[in-house]
Amino acid sequence: MNRHTAARDGAVVGAKRPRLDAGPKVTGHTRYTADIELEGALTGLIKRSPHAFARVVRVDVARAAAMPGVHAIAHAGNTPHIPFDLGIKDQHLFPHPYARYAGEPVAAVAAESEAQAQAALNAIEVEYEILEPVLDAQRALEPSAPLVHPDWRTYEKLPTRVLRGNVCGHNRVRRGDVDTEFARADVVIHESEFRFSPGLPGYIEPRAAAARREPDGGLTLWCGSQSPYDNRDELAKFFALEPARVRFINQFVGGAFGGKILMAAEWYAAALALQCERPVRVIWTRHEDGLHAFPRHGGYASLKTAATKDGALVAMRASFVYDTGAYIGYGTGTAQISTMLASAPYRVPALDLEATLVYTNKQVAGPVRAPGGPQANFAKELHLDELAAKLGIDPLDFRLRNAWHDGDQGPGGQILAGVRVEETLRACADAIGWRTPTTQRRGRGIACTWWFSACGQSRARIEIGDDGRVRLAAGNPEVGTGASSTSLPMIAAQILGLDPSAIDVVLADTATDTYDSGVGGSSSTFGAGMAVSGAANDLRAKLLARAEDMLEARTDDLELRDGNVQVRGMPDRAVSYVKLAREAGGTISGEGESAEQDDPEFDESLTETHGFSSWLAPSYTASAAEVEVDADTGEVAVHKIVTAQDVGYAVNPVGVAGQIEGGAVMGVGWALTESVGFDERGNIRPDLKDYLMPTAVDAPEIQTIIVESSPGAGPFGLKGAGEPPITTPPAAIACAIRSAAGVAPHETPMTPERVWRALRDQ
Amino acid sequence: MQPVTLVVNGVEHEAVVEPLETLLSVLRGTLKLTGTKEGCGTGYCGACTVIIDGQPVNACLFPAVDADRRDVTTIEGLADDDGQLHPVQAAFIEHFGLQCGFCTPGMILAAASLLAEQPDPSEEQIRAALAGNICRCTGYQSIVAAVRSAAQALRASGRAGELPGKRSRVRARA
Repeated sequence: MNRHTAARDGAVVGAKRPRLDAGPKVTGHTRYTADIELEGALTGLIKRSPHAFARVVRVDVARAAAMPGVHAIAHAGNTPHIPFDLGIKDQHLFPHPYARYAGEPVAAVAAESEAQAQAALNAIEVEYEILEPVLDAQRALEPSAPLVHPDWRTYEKLPTRVLRGNVCGHNRVRRGDVDTEFARADVVIHESEFRFSPGLPGYIEPRAAAARREPDGGLTLWCGSQSPYDNRDELAKFFALEPARVRFINQFVGGAFGGKILMAAEWYAAALALQCERPVRVIWTRHEDGLHAFPRHGGYASLKTAATKDGALVAMRASFVYDTGAYIGYGTGTAQISTMLASAPYRVPALDLEATLVYTNKQVAGPVRAPGGPQANFAKELHLDELAAKLGIDPLDFRLRNAWHDGDQGPGGQILAGVRVEETLRACADAIGWRTPTTQRRGRGIACTWWFSACGQSRARIEIGDDGRVRLAAGNPEVGTGASSTSLPMIAAQILGLDPSAIDVVLADTATDTYDSGVGGSSSTFGAGMAVSGAANDLRAKLLARAEDMLEARTDDLELRDGNVQVRGMPDRAVSYVKLAREAGGTISGEGESAEQDDPEFDESLTETHGFSSWLAPSYTASAAEVEVDADTGEVAVHKIVTAQDVGYAVNPVGVAGQIEGGAVMGVGWALTESVGFDERGNIRPDLKDYLMPTAVDAPEIQTIIVESSPGAGPFGLKGAGEPPITTPPAAIACAIRSAAGVAPHETPMTPERVWRALRDQ
Repeated sequence: MQPVTLVVNGVEHEAVVEPLETLLSVLRGTLKLTGTKEGCGTGYCGACTVIIDGQPVNACLFPAVDADRRDVTTIEGLADDDGQLHPVQAAFIEHFGLQCGFCTPGMILAAASLLAEQPDPSEEQIRAALAGNICRCTGYQSIVAAVRSAAQALRASGRAGELPGKRSRVRARA
């Protein structure tokens, strides 16, 4: 395609478009954080507690500090004692005095070489008083359980947070009276219990950061963060630096999936660099990364549901308990999202849904892609499948019978419009051949959900320079999805009459001062897209205003094409953007920011301590799976997954398909093989020989169905798209196993042993 | 410490390596060829895949001394000297066979060495050949499509079975 053909056809957005950052990625020239060369950089390494729970009695660094090549040692004795603030101030940079999980950093060393840093780490003397740990969420709730935070009563917290002993979060959604409904004579009741495994984000690039103290007292950080601006502010505050003098320069990121929102290596690189004359690089091994990975929350759930004999749901009670690890991390959202998913997207007149968050002596759980989504949907969909079987109703028919439609209410009372549950379910069913018989040992399952489009804050600037280049600076990092590198310039190109390849994307860098609250909540193309679209429209207006005089034409008669403003249909009466930029003094630029989005109205009386009661621009997703179960070995082969996703509008359809395909396979992993193994001492087995992510031979055929009939609040009517694709495949796989074998394990991962045991016990 | 001669992308490098130093460490640290990635350091993820004498290997497990005087191809050496991409590279772009790009160099080299041995692989053969390379972003389907398309392109241009990378010897100092 000619560089400007797409623009002329008016079809930059919505067209299949290779990634604009692909060239350097296939030749090895893309720089990730560990690839950055820094003159004179020292090696930073972390010393970690080997105990699940211990009081640090003494850290003696004297011998280590005197060793050759050692430049700095950071520890609780020489860094600030300001607790991190994620709603509950419960975590210190280094133990003060409790080390609450195996792998928690107790000190960091910067030295000339890795060998010298390692030798110094070994020479740091740490005296521990070993305490009895809590390694299971159920155990954490027992009255006799040790307290993970013995001093919890002294913690500062937001008034909206629940904190009592090992409980660090609780929310509830209630409507009607479930007990009355359960007591009705005409209902069939089903009860079941589920357990979820913690899951690593599984990005292939381990965490890395480099930091350099600047002569003006500032600090420069090179990192691969999902949220460099918020990280910058948090770090500056902690070390009492002026935020304006702390610069986070984001590099290309080798996958993130929610695992790179909270700082990790960045903290230690900064703590060391502030004590050194030279820059410090901290590059984690895969093993270390797995010890400190902000995994998906594990936990358990119980569900009880009543339906009339003809299949109308009448009441549901659900209780989730999530293990958030040693510190609150991002557990609050996980728990709140779960109660919003437990009964959705179905009409259930009476609800009592609650989720509890508990501390344990494990690494901190984080906001991994669609926090709570795979867990809640796995439990809810398999539970409802079993209820449908009790009623003798086909699983698809049962779902269609109860599916939300326009005008129905979400769990928090929000009135729904543009609902696409039925459409996505039917699309999946048709594609998988739901009504056709399967061969022996095979089964099909179907599952559906809803999700939100989070709109953070985003700013963007687009500048045309006198060199003719168009530069797009948005604060939204490129973490691999292609949203920032490709979809955002596509949006700008569409509005500015350019080909996207004519736009240079400046990677997120706090020096551009285009704040972005970060990649998370499927918000990039949605929220940052609004900022870019605003900046492009602002620039467009400026170009038109300047061209008006030069072309002696009214704005209405002008159009933007191929880098020129021209009189409509008269390419010879045109002026180039470069010329307009030069006329404007060298550059001409536009700025934009995401519009404030109010959450839809909801009914406050229905929820308790809930921050997620109504969802912005909700989207609807369904998946169907076909699996084969070997009854002798319990092995499950996933043959096909179909996902139909209501994305509002696909700016880059291949980008959306990439999210759906990747999410499906990530879902296969969480459903069947991935689990973070903890031993009785709380040590984890984080290495890839134990943590089994799907390879090309494990991945099924994936069919993507993009539904664009229900516009959302983003540019061109788009909705958030990155998270939903992992929320339904595990549930569909579980239901397919049940269909093939008559029973499915109620615990992830559904390993061959668990499938075999479930078959034996049925 | 041991002197070795590494022939990387057709260029000879004299280097002095530690007895147990990995090829990955020498490529990234000494030769500054950072296109080869470290994802796990234990041979499970395949991000460090390079081609040695036609065979894909995990550079994180391969002792640098064992690469002495053997042909090593890294991702930087796959395109022609004039920048013309290898058909596997071009196909990864065209078929959206990458997202974050971190597994991509290893994945492309594993695919290129498969196609040198098997010019017309089945989908099953492609998936088996890539089973040592983990991608967390794409779900593999687009990667498989890219490899099939590259196979076709190589056959159509009469390059089927051609060993990827460069073998001309130019001496450089490491």
